[in-house]
Amino acid sequence: MRPASPLSPAGKGRPASSAAMLFAALATVASANVAPARADEAFITSQPAETLSVVDLPTRKVVATLKIPGKPAGIAVSPDGKRAFVTSPDGKALTILDAASRTVERRVEVGGGPLGVAVHPSGSPAYVADWYRHRVVAVDAASGAIAGEVQVGESPSGLAVTPDGALLLSADRDSDAVSFVDTATLARTDSVKVGARPFGVTIDAEGQRAYTANVGSDDVTIIDIAARRAVATVKVGQRPYAVALAQGRAFVTDQYASTVSVFDTGTLQPVATIPVGDYPEGIAASRDGALVYVANWEANTLSVIDVATLKVVADIDVADGPRAFGAFIRRTD
Amino acid sequence: MKFELLTVAVAAVSLAVAASGAQAHGPTRQKVSETIVINAPPAKVWEVVGNFQDGGWIPVVAKTEGTGGSAAGAKRTLTLKNGATVEEEVAKLEPEKMTLMYRIDKVDVKVLPVTNYSSWLVVTPEDGGAKSKVEWRGAFYRGYPNNDPPPELNDEAAVAAVTGLYKAGLDGLKKKIEGGS
Repeated sequence: MRPASPLSPAGKGRPASSAAMLFAALATVASANVAPARADEAFITSQPAETLSVVDLPTRKVVATLKIPGKPAGIAVSPDGKRAFVTSPDGKALTILDAASRTVERRVEVGGGPLGVAVHPSGSPAYVADWYRHRVVAVDAASGAIAGEVQVGESPSGLAVTPDGALLLSADRDSDAVSFVDTATLARTDSVKVGARPFGVTIDAEGQRAYTANVGSDDVTIIDIAARRAVATVKVGQRPYAVALAQGRAFVTDQYASTVSVFDTGTLQPVATIPVGDYPEGIAASRDGALVYVANWEANTLSVIDVATLKVVADIDVADGPRAFGAFIRRTD
Repeated sequence: MKFELLTVAVAAVSLAVAASGAQAHGPTRQKVSETIVINAPPAKVWEVVGNFQDGGWIPVVAKTEGTGGSAAGAKRTLTLKNGATVEEEVAKLEPEKMTLMYRIDKVDVKVLPVTNYSSWLVVTPEDGGAKSKVEWRGAFYRGYPNNDPPPELNDEAAVAAVTGLYKAGLDGLKKKIEGGS
């Protein structure tokens, strides 16, 4: 954890000089100004570069770059910001990192083709989708031990866990369906048909609805989680990859259209189509919902979209081939 | 003759690939980029590169047939000198950036061991506009969609084939333009 206030180190043990106190006061003012963004970070996997770029979001600078072998693709940061989980499909492994110190804690051989990853709200286990063996593997975050596995549909890709931790959803790409898995028993209880080739799946903050980006049918399916059924389909741009939710709107990366499609989650009407870099893929909203971040695989940038104006306000250069498939925003407080 | 760069020997592995459909692919998209400097102004180079209906500067291409010019959605079929065909489509044309983006709609992995292929041709000025730099970039998955691919359809084979195509293509482009043909 980062210290809550820059005042505390200066106050320890020795009298602070007036200059130090002035500096501390200014620093407090400065940190108060950036408080809405809370100094959060983005953990961006770059697949061909085989790195994880850590982007400080208030300054929009890459502050750390870690080598992760095996073409890293999927990312999940635990809700408390303590750990990050990165899948390497070519290395058949899950890397578990201490997020604050940027150190690798473990590299777990999970086999198959690990791609999507999600972490339980409690911080453990991490769930890993195996693209080739059609299963989800649960990995204990602290020990790295495989805690269990469950068969799902064909080529599971995106994963998401409900905020209460009770359910795991898996977008089974080649089954055109979403699996529901009871996290307590690790049993698959339901499968809900969606559009063609769902890739990313995102659950809203209330745990009521899930949104799948359907690569094959260029649309988003909205699932009523309690009812276990699809309730709406919304057309978006070509080859949608993943969905982020902010301020009552869904933001969808359209890989082939090089855009982010925005629609209102209440009316389901289109709101905007925002041009970004080529091959936009991973997408996530800031915790306050003011900004949406988009990893552009071809352009090697992280685009920053202002949710209020629906415009790109910055493009941050990151390592080659940013994919950032998953929940890549890390809280630091 | 750079023919062999495209014709990758494939033994008995193409059946599963053909049956699995164009969208199925492995988890790791590949990137290739090659550049060349051509002794001609950008406008002259763009005239050739930006014309989607003539792929004749690529040495392995025997014939180009298509519709829709170079605008988004335009199509062409390249017939290669070995008789194989490649069906392609313009994704994006940006004349102000001298950038053409197109995709392969259909190709046999025996011809080019890739799937879900997109590529970009970008012309930029060199030496204050006296010369041009041409970049040919590609994004694609390997030819084999499943795990543990055979060597002739793995990531390295895909990258090697596309790299070979780009090098030969850019060499051909340079010769065509500088030779005035």
